[in-house]
Amino acid sequence: MRLPRLFRTTTFRLTLLFLAVFATAASAFLAYIYVATAGEVNSRADSQVRKEMAALERIYQSGGQTALNQAVIERSSQNQPLLYLLMTPQGAPISGSIGASPVANFTGQPAWASFALTETSVDGQTIRQPARGLEEQLSGGQRLFVGADVGESEAYVSKIIHALWGAGTLMVLLGLAGGLLISRDASRNAASLNGVIDRARGGDLGARAWVRGTGDEYDELATGLNDMLDRLARSIAGLRHAGDAIAHDLRSPLTRLRARLEAGIIEAEAGRADPNDTLHQALEDADGVLRTFSAVLAIARLEAAADAPGKSLFDPSEMAAHVAELYQPLAEDKGVDFAIETARALKIEGNREFIAQAVANLLDNAAKYTPPGGAIMLRTRRRASGDVEISVTDTGPGIGEADRERVVERFVRLENSRNEPGAGLGLSLVAAVARAHRGALELDEGPGRVDGSGPGLRVALVFPPAG
Amino acid sequence: MRLLIVEDDLEAARAMATALAERSFDCALASDGEAGLKEARTGRFDVLIVDRMMPRLDGLSMVEALRKLGDNTPVLFLSALGEIHDRVSGLNAGGDDYLVKPYALAELVARVEALARRKESGGVQTLLKIGDLEMDLIAREVRRAGVEIDLQPREFQLLEFLMRHGGQSVTRTMLLEKVWEYHFDPQTNVIDVHISRLRGKIDKGFDRPMLQTVRGAGYRLEA
Repeated sequence: MRLPRLFRTTTFRLTLLFLAVFATAASAFLAYIYVATAGEVNSRADSQVRKEMAALERIYQSGGQTALNQAVIERSSQNQPLLYLLMTPQGAPISGSIGASPVANFTGQPAWASFALTETSVDGQTIRQPARGLEEQLSGGQRLFVGADVGESEAYVSKIIHALWGAGTLMVLLGLAGGLLISRDASRNAASLNGVIDRARGGDLGARAWVRGTGDEYDELATGLNDMLDRLARSIAGLRHAGDAIAHDLRSPLTRLRARLEAGIIEAEAGRADPNDTLHQALEDADGVLRTFSAVLAIARLEAAADAPGKSLFDPSEMAAHVAELYQPLAEDKGVDFAIETARALKIEGNREFIAQAVANLLDNAAKYTPPGGAIMLRTRRRASGDVEISVTDTGPGIGEADRERVVERFVRLENSRNEPGAGLGLSLVAAVARAHRGALELDEGPGRVDGSGPGLRVALVFPPAG
Repeated sequence: MRLLIVEDDLEAARAMATALAERSFDCALASDGEAGLKEARTGRFDVLIVDRMMPRLDGLSMVEALRKLGDNTPVLFLSALGEIHDRVSGLNAGGDDYLVKPYALAELVARVEALARRKESGGVQTLLKIGDLEMDLIAREVRRAGVEIDLQPREFQLLEFLMRHGGQSVTRTMLLEKVWEYHFDPQTNVIDVHISRLRGKIDKGFDRPMLQTVRGAGYRLEA
């Protein structure tokens, strides 16, 4: 048989363990209190008896049996809490407040005895009071017993024992209840996390754990779980999207390629066309398909990697200048002004080749879409936050606010770019590079409308500072 | 020129051999690393084309073994692994060039020619000369028919590479890799713009253009 769920939780087991430790400590503590209080009460009675015995012995030493007898009679008649009995060496009573010694089989050695004292109260009832006393043999052979009524202190001790039992029980009950409460709270938290994991395992990657905002370890766990699910969902969505997109985007050029070959064969067989042209065209189509495939693969790899591979520390300004040099003639030939403005002493930790490719893609787009007479500016700078920014601003038509998020998705090509070559993967790659470096890709409006063109586009790659 | 193609995809190997035979290369085939190593050790080859992933002995280990034996025949690695670190590990193992699949045969041929030529021309050159075009590598001066041509530093590097491979086809990817040291595919043919600028400087005013465009491959500098 399995225990109910609550009793199987780690927290509950920990509670029980804690309770056991706590109970042991409490028992030791209570035992100490008992010894310290109840023991004290008894030993006080004993010392009183011992003192009285010593006093009577001193009287006997100085005045002999007569003086002692006198003293015993005197003290017995007073209404004081002590009990006395003076006996002959054989144990026959001579004087005192009790009739017989409660000590059985007296051997001559001082002996203690606990006994019950029977009294008759004022209203005629018999009361049994606990008492305790010491019997000793005097030097002349007579036996002397001195006792004390310990009724009051016994009652006190039993009260203490009761109180201790009560306290112990209360402690265990409270501990158990507290443990149940804590473990129920903890297991509820764990259960909610488990629920999320179960849903995710069942295929629902939209499941998210509730972060209560207390910042405790459950919140940390929930945040971590959510972050993991975010990444998983993104990479699965990316893969799914890439799969769909590849199927869609490769199917049409492959169909075209196939049709071209088929038509080429028909034409060639009829002697109407040169099969060479068909083959060259087909080769170009195949190259296009392969290029698209490589680009999609590169993006998918970057997105699947937890961290950009092959990282090194480098100066983004120097890298930007290097890429700019590659693109400058392209812009100039088109009649576009190209300027570069770099900040000094910047450092990025990342894959230099990937970031250079991202910047190349941005410059490529800028050169494509900026009309003659326009301008492109490549800039590197350190933001107030310490982040390093590499931005490309152009005076082309820009991207409408509504399209800015969409345009970084794979294969998305806006209407006005249909006539330009490209597969719609450039910005997707830039975004993937940024993400793999825990950076960001920001798209904004450029310098605005000037001379009938614009408003332009400003694309910024933002990287966290190195180190 | 004798070539050894070590590749387990026979279809691909045959296509390579066809394209290379066109450029008068004599090709032998080996279909795994062990056979490749055995063949290569005969020392009959001018260039080795080695696939990285093969049965029995992978390309990296094969080339490493060959280099340990003191064989320095130029090696061109072929690989489906195109990440930077894959390329670096290939070059560290003793490869001289690295081509990522899928590749154009024209690209392969151009790279093999470059490697074969490198084996031929040993020694440090200080003066390059093709036809009436001269490049002084120490003074960093370029002259055509005695007239000095003013080049930007990158144009100088570009021309130097073309001159070192004079008469051979050189692809855009090779130029991007060797002159700019980038291994990615620029979407627009930025290289064409640089070539046309260089062409404007070295061919302008001369009857016979030296910097030729090779259809489907790239460029060639001819005397």
